Amino acid sequence: MQFRRFLLMAAAVAPMVGLMAQGAKADPISASEAQAFITTAGQQMAGIVNGPGNQQSRATALRTLVNQIVAVSQVGDYVLGRYINIATAAQHTQFQDLFHQLLAYNITYQIKAYQGVSFVVNGTKPQGDDVVVDTTVTTPGHPPADVGWVVEEVGGKPQIIDVIVAGTSLRITTRNDYASVITDNGGNVSALLNAMQHQIQKLSADS
Amino acid sequence: MVARKMMAAVPGLALLAGLSACASAPPRSDVADYQAYRAVNDPLEPTNRQFYKVNDTLDSYVMKPVAEGYVDVTNQTIRDHVGDFVSNIGEPARTVNFILEGMPHDAGVSLMRFVINSSFGIGGIFDPAKHIDLPETDTDFGITLAIWGFPAGPYLYLPVFGPSGVRDVWNLPFAYFATPMAVVPTSTALTDFGYAETGLHLVNTRAGLLDTIDQIKATALDPYATFRSLYRQSRASEVVQVYQAEGRTPPAWAMPPSN
Repeated sequence: MQFRRFLLMAAAVAPMVGLMAQGAKADPISASEAQAFITTAGQQMAGIVNGPGNQQSRATALRTLVNQIVAVSQVGDYVLGRYINIATAAQHTQFQDLFHQLLAYNITYQIKAYQGVSFVVNGTKPQGDDVVVDTTVTTPGHPPADVGWVVEEVGGKPQIIDVIVAGTSLRITTRNDYASVITDNGGNVSALLNAMQHQIQKLSADS
Repeated sequence: MVARKMMAAVPGLALLAGLSACASAPPRSDVADYQAYRAVNDPLEPTNRQFYKVNDTLDSYVMKPVAEGYVDVTNQTIRDHVGDFVSNIGEPARTVNFILEGMPHDAGVSLMRFVINSSFGIGGIFDPAKHIDLPETDTDFGITLAIWGFPAGPYLYLPVFGPSGVRDVWNLPFAYFATPMAVVPTSTALTDFGYAETGLHLVNTRAGLLDTIDQIKATALDPYATFRSLYRQSRASEVVQVYQAEGRTPPAWAMPPSN
């Protein structure tokens, strides 16, 4: 039951952040600052998803917002994990580019399913130097999902660095997904880059 | 009843898996790769992936179409009540497990949930217990073994049942016996009820995951690895939740890694 519940909740938040990870060295952030940040960000996300315009324009607006509130590059480095030390500079650059593209396509692919989404902020709890803002995300046709947004101060401003659903980290899930592709191909980072390109082509054809 | 028969076969399936193809471990001298291999803890990965493909094919041609048809002829409210009904049948097993885990508060809540939902909830179709501060906390024999100190062990992907592990697989034979139907005298009506309950459970669960599984398959680079990671993290989280529901601080070994 728990695994099923997790999967349902994961689906509710996946398009919001897509692919998560940790930030670089960060300063501590206050609970009130993190809560205010997520309250505003949640309202903005819901406003875009439920707002006027066609699906393409809303997806574009959401991608812009996600790039502002999520530490996407740091997330990418976390997801690459230990292979960041194996990748060449060119591969690292290409990975970051593909990672940003994949996030954009994932948002476009999934935005349609989240019409009517709403957020309620329930409180905060510390997690190391970070703050987890607990929310309830409600989407029509799905059970309410308890979602924790991990906020860290990156570059002097609060940024989302992970999403916790039923105690499960989306950034760790994504890192394990990517690591599996690399290890199944003899530790070759280029295999991951090829898989990401293939995925982008597939999502592009579907959108 | 079908599920109970299948559950009885699971230890055998686990043994079969144990005799099957194994993944090649990197040499210990390659420290980073070897540590990563140990962390994944999926030595039967080639066999597990074969079973994943089998299940995926079965799902695509049988379970998913049936679930889509079920969604067409029901609404979310009906599906929620079916979920409550199936969950209520599993409540006695949870009570027993909480007792075995040494969690008296959780056991009391679980027992009261079963009594209240079976009566006022009309056989569990409704869940009035959650409205009087008796929320559901999930557990099973795999969680009990974890709290007793057994590690998760290697990952297993089972035919039909899906993600599991060498520790968690023992929940299946346990669940075979820990059901209210086990104490009812055998009859044709009970057998029919068992078929209906098992079928409804499978279809209702799959219906609730239609969008989710589609999304994971569409966005993950390696869906097998993604489901493996989700399963592992979810199981670790369940152990923590059992402690927290009991009002106890989870021990350090139960806490998930921070990175």
